[in-house]
Amino acid sequence: MARGWLRIAVVTLILALALGAVATGQSPDRRVRELILLTRPQAVDPREFETARFLAPEFEKLGVKVTVRVMPWEQMADLVWYSRDKWDMTMWQMVGRPERSDPDEFAMNLFHSSTAANGYNFVGYRNRTYDNIAEAQRIKTDLKTRQQLIREAQKIIARDAPYIFLVFPESTYVYNNTVWDAKTVVEQKGIGIKNFWTFVQAKPLGSQQDMVLNYPDPLQAINPLFISGAADSWVTELIWDRLFRVGPDGLPRPWAAEKADWVDSVTLDVTLRRGMKWHDGRPVTVDDVIFSYTAPMGDEVPMYRPFVRNIERIEKRSDTVIRFVLRDPYAPFLIASLAKLNIIPKHIWEPILADLARKPENAESYQEQVPIGSGPFKFVQWKKPEEVVLEAVPDHFSAPKMRRWILRIIPNVEAALGGLRQGQINFLSGYTGDPQILDRLVKENRQLTLVSTMDVGMRFLAFNLRRPPFDDVAFRQALNMATNKRAIRSVVWKGFASIADSFVSPALEFWYNPELPRWEYNIQAARDQLAKAGYSWDREGRLLYPAGKTETLK
Amino acid sequence: MKRLAFILSRLAQTLLVLLVVATILFLIFRLMPGNPLVAYLDPTFTEEMARSLRRQFGLDKPLTTQYLVFLRNTLRGEFGNSFFTREPVSQVIWNVLPNTLALTLAALLLAYAVGIAGGALLAARRGTRVEHWGIPAVLATRAAPEFWVGMLALAVFSFSLDWFPFGGATSPGSIYPSIWAQLFSLDFLHHMALPALTLALYLQGLPTLLMRNSMLEVMDEDFITFCRMRGLPERTIILRHAARNALLPVVTAFALGIGYSIGGNVIIETVFSWPGLGRTLVRAVAAKDYPVAQAAFLMIAVVMIGMNFVADLLYGVLDPRVSDERR
Repeated sequence: MARGWLRIAVVTLILALALGAVATGQSPDRRVRELILLTRPQAVDPREFETARFLAPEFEKLGVKVTVRVMPWEQMADLVWYSRDKWDMTMWQMVGRPERSDPDEFAMNLFHSSTAANGYNFVGYRNRTYDNIAEAQRIKTDLKTRQQLIREAQKIIARDAPYIFLVFPESTYVYNNTVWDAKTVVEQKGIGIKNFWTFVQAKPLGSQQDMVLNYPDPLQAINPLFISGAADSWVTELIWDRLFRVGPDGLPRPWAAEKADWVDSVTLDVTLRRGMKWHDGRPVTVDDVIFSYTAPMGDEVPMYRPFVRNIERIEKRSDTVIRFVLRDPYAPFLIASLAKLNIIPKHIWEPILADLARKPENAESYQEQVPIGSGPFKFVQWKKPEEVVLEAVPDHFSAPKMRRWILRIIPNVEAALGGLRQGQINFLSGYTGDPQILDRLVKENRQLTLVSTMDVGMRFLAFNLRRPPFDDVAFRQALNMATNKRAIRSVVWKGFASIADSFVSPALEFWYNPELPRWEYNIQAARDQLAKAGYSWDREGRLLYPAGKTETLK
Repeated sequence: MKRLAFILSRLAQTLLVLLVVATILFLIFRLMPGNPLVAYLDPTFTEEMARSLRRQFGLDKPLTTQYLVFLRNTLRGEFGNSFFTREPVSQVIWNVLPNTLALTLAALLLAYAVGIAGGALLAARRGTRVEHWGIPAVLATRAAPEFWVGMLALAVFSFSLDWFPFGGATSPGSIYPSIWAQLFSLDFLHHMALPALTLALYLQGLPTLLMRNSMLEVMDEDFITFCRMRGLPERTIILRHAARNALLPVVTAFALGIGYSIGGNVIIETVFSWPGLGRTLVRAVAAKDYPVAQAAFLMIAVVMIGMNFVADLLYGVLDPRVSDERR
């Protein structure tokens, strides 16, 4: 009896499976699968999350099913970076940094095919024409030609749409105008008023001579040979000098270098400023500078190696002149290398690096008890989870006007606002909340001044070009047309952002291409575009691949 | 002799539990999705750097090897270096542990002092107005979300009245020769007041209600009736005889409370920007800083299990009826 039942069950099961196979073998095979959009959690980045939630139903108007999947950053980045063929779409952001005022870093690392396998081109964009242009802009030292090339590169990316560029957020900072002279607070293009120049030039008006700033997370390291967290770089910039700095206008300007002259397209003579001193009293010499640029060529300073890779040799021409000889012409050299590397004291770091060479660790793991640089501020104390205190160096060639620079670690943003109003903080440098609240606070408190600046960093949605349907440029363009950037700007960003259509911020007027193909929000146009590319819709309204193409990923 | 055997067997159990905890800690962080290297992703990040980091973190070795290394190092008291700050884990924990202990122990002592007295009072005044208002008040403060109470305290005592600083453990730029000098400075106490009071307000609910219930039970017992018959004053009965006997469960709760408090209090630490272990821990877990997370949780487990053990022993001392002889 039992055996009979079993036989019937098995036969039914086989029949069901066969029928299922036939059923799925038909039209649904052309049906575009459910697409997954990755985003970080609301608690971590409410705007990114809201944007993802806003975009998914818009994309669904094209007949695709889109699911928003929330993941912590560590998990999301791990998936996007190390499982390059396992995701569809992801929300992403690039933050603004002074050295990103030159478009080379984004143009090269984000879209050049050489970084597709395991670099930052995680979308897998490959375009030989683009590669050539990205390479060419590096070696053209003529600014006009370079500008043309960068603008051409932006045009190709806008047309090929490997991303949906969303917005360039505004960097919003507030300071106390009864403590700091408003005329001495410097607004840096694409960065905002929280920058090196403000810290060096801000003039106290009264007895409060200390700048007290806030940041939500503790620092990772204060190390001139380690590119660590964002706030870490504010500190290293102040303690260590660099040959060049990115000026408030976004262009390189001599700093520890008196001047730099191109001898030919690969030879640069840099003259070091005289009379500079390390914080321990010793003079800064040409040998220190040469050491600072040779150290990353070894194995102990991996994070700075990319910035010296193009240097073939460095020569000491005299007590003040250093000659850099490059392997290939490299136009952004002043910003990408000379304004990037910290000048470090040879007498301190030579023995440290020699010692590290015998150990598995490298220079990134080394934390000086009292970091020694030659910059406008010197190190006073670092209470790890609580604050960093720096003090002005009065005999620096650009001596700060303030007495001390104090960065407080304040995870509670609302409390930071209270502290700002009340005066316990006088420069709000780490606000991640709603800018409207800030706006209201400033309107109610006359002693506060808010400055909002368009950033060079950007928010975008990235497609995985390795996976259909994203391998089809028509599909990517259609999704771009289904994106209402205006609404995202006003609803999600409350107006504190500019609409993006390029990897170059309009803040960088010289490089930005104002004549890019813009994907205006128009669902019907997006559907027409898909229809023109051969896509169709089934009876349920679901999008089908063009004839001959089937869904291979389930 | 029997007592020694009891202690030894409890000790053996404790060690076994710790081994299990250590193993779970090792596995749980590695099996969680995510990757400690993503903290370094940058347009200039290369595969070569990724390899070098993996080697430095010891993540290039098979899991079993990593586990054996972890066990060996743990036994030696070495927890390695933080993936995040690269400093020794013991240093990472030591940076914040004194702050955490100062805050949580101060709050705990305050809460238990107030709670024991309050609980005794509530029991003694059973059925009166004191109880009518007292119990809801205790329950309300216990149930009120800490972050809300904390923000309220900040709004009133810091932002409006300006009596207390709004965050941190010391004033901006203050320099102390040692951690002890800092812990016993007025500045530190001034900074600790608001978070400690907020935490105490939250913690007092448990000892108060526990003390009250326990008192009520004791008050029903025969020896209290005898006391009354002997004509002892009510005050003496309550303080000398009832309260002392009712303290037993409260002592256990206190011992366990110390165990809990070592992990810090993430909410209080965040609201008051207090540099404590709770936030360090959350950060370590979120950033996949395995060495710090493992060591910190293991430390918490050791203290918790240790305090349990102590509570067990204390029971025997405080109440001879719970002697080990009978086990």
